[in-house]
Amino acid sequence: MTNRPYVITTSIVLLFAVICFSLSPTAAKRAKRLFSSLYTPLFKTQRIAQSTGEYLSNQTISREALLDENAELKRQNSILELKLEQTVPLSKENRNLREQLKMRPRPEWNPRLARIIGRDPSNWWRSILIDLGANDGVKIDMPVVAKTGLIGRVQEAYPNHSQIALLGDPDCRVSVTIEATKETGILKSTGETVYDPTLVKLTHLPGVTLARPGDKLYSSGLGEIFPRGIYVGKLLAIHSRPGSLTTTATVKLSTNTSQLHEVWVLMP
Amino acid sequence: MRGFLTLSILATALVSTYVLTTWSFPQRTFGFQIDPLPALLIVVALRCPISTIGILSIFGSLTQSALSTSSIGTTILPLYTLGFIVHMNSQHIAFNNVGTRFILGASAGAFVSITSLCILLLSNQQPLFGWFSFWQWIATAGMSGLLALVFFPIVNWLNRSVEEQPLVAPYDTSTRIIRGPHIHG
Repeated sequence: MTNRPYVITTSIVLLFAVICFSLSPTAAKRAKRLFSSLYTPLFKTQRIAQSTGEYLSNQTISREALLDENAELKRQNSILELKLEQTVPLSKENRNLREQLKMRPRPEWNPRLARIIGRDPSNWWRSILIDLGANDGVKIDMPVVAKTGLIGRVQEAYPNHSQIALLGDPDCRVSVTIEATKETGILKSTGETVYDPTLVKLTHLPGVTLARPGDKLYSSGLGEIFPRGIYVGKLLAIHSRPGSLTTTATVKLSTNTSQLHEVWVLMP
Repeated sequence: MRGFLTLSILATALVSTYVLTTWSFPQRTFGFQIDPLPALLIVVALRCPISTIGILSIFGSLTQSALSTSSIGTTILPLYTLGFIVHMNSQHIAFNNVGTRFILGASAGAFVSITSLCILLLSNQQPLFGWFSFWQWIATAGMSGLLALVFFPIVNWLNRSVEEQPLVAPYDTSTRIIRGPHIHG
């Protein structure tokens, strides 16, 4: 047995490992984008398979069930239209007042539905993959929400899919406001998040806080990634230490992302 | 013809990584993700030359990190180290036994998982881990053992399908030509 192939292969592998570790963040992103393009045919195949499956299952639904559902949706739609009509004068008034006060107009978000197509292959991160990418207008740092509240932000936008860092991931820290006390803090992951993805830690609360378990949390709008006022979750427990300048709290997030199938990307 | 086998192994790595990333059942039900690469690498280390092990370590790691938050190439060294050790000791491993295959796969899953975590921590990243990670580690190792049982027949089949097999001799190879002393005499 000759040692030459072993020496050559080991040297090449070491060289690749060193190159990977010394890549700049931009170069690493480019490399990731390049390798993620290898999955494009698989993503497309999955998309086709899903739409074919949906089409076939739709064919099996009875006409009566469809008519019932249609009637229910029409009823809900008319209620929502009425409610929307009531908010139009309020929103006009708000816009006029903002103009008079020379305040920046509030950005209007255009939510776009995306399907969850995968989860981070390693256990060390909390991120998901969605079927909308840069080709659909998705950009890095766009907020992502579910019906029940905020769930994360776009971490990376590839041409046909995107990676979303979820609340509780070390790479997704959110500034939140406690509705009752108007105090702000930062949501961070904790060891418990690994066990229960809806449990996170709220840090940087004032040393003496008036917040109580059960208080609701909303995004504060600080940091300019997440718009203000999106529901995040509830306070579960407060851990104050006498003499400490800050208080921490345990937060129960509103959305259990491991049970989700669809999310909304908020596009400006 | 070795190139075809290597290419088909890389395709297997790509497809299995994709399938297990998009299959959310284990994550939703048991709270862990399955990594197919350690199990595949074990099989490759026992069946293929060192060059294939090196190529699979690099390609598998790069394509997997393209779907992950982990920095690119985090698992290159753990995968290659594992493959190298198993390959060098392949003469002493009775890998035809199902139990041995499972243990090899499970050990590989446990090794790659823990060394990747160490690399992430050493490279100043902040992976998410707590007491529940211990369960994830054990479950990932167990699933890796089961995957090894799946990958052994797949790699054997690929080997038979894409590699040139020696032709069966069309004549009776037991026939011998015996020259008698009378011919030349």
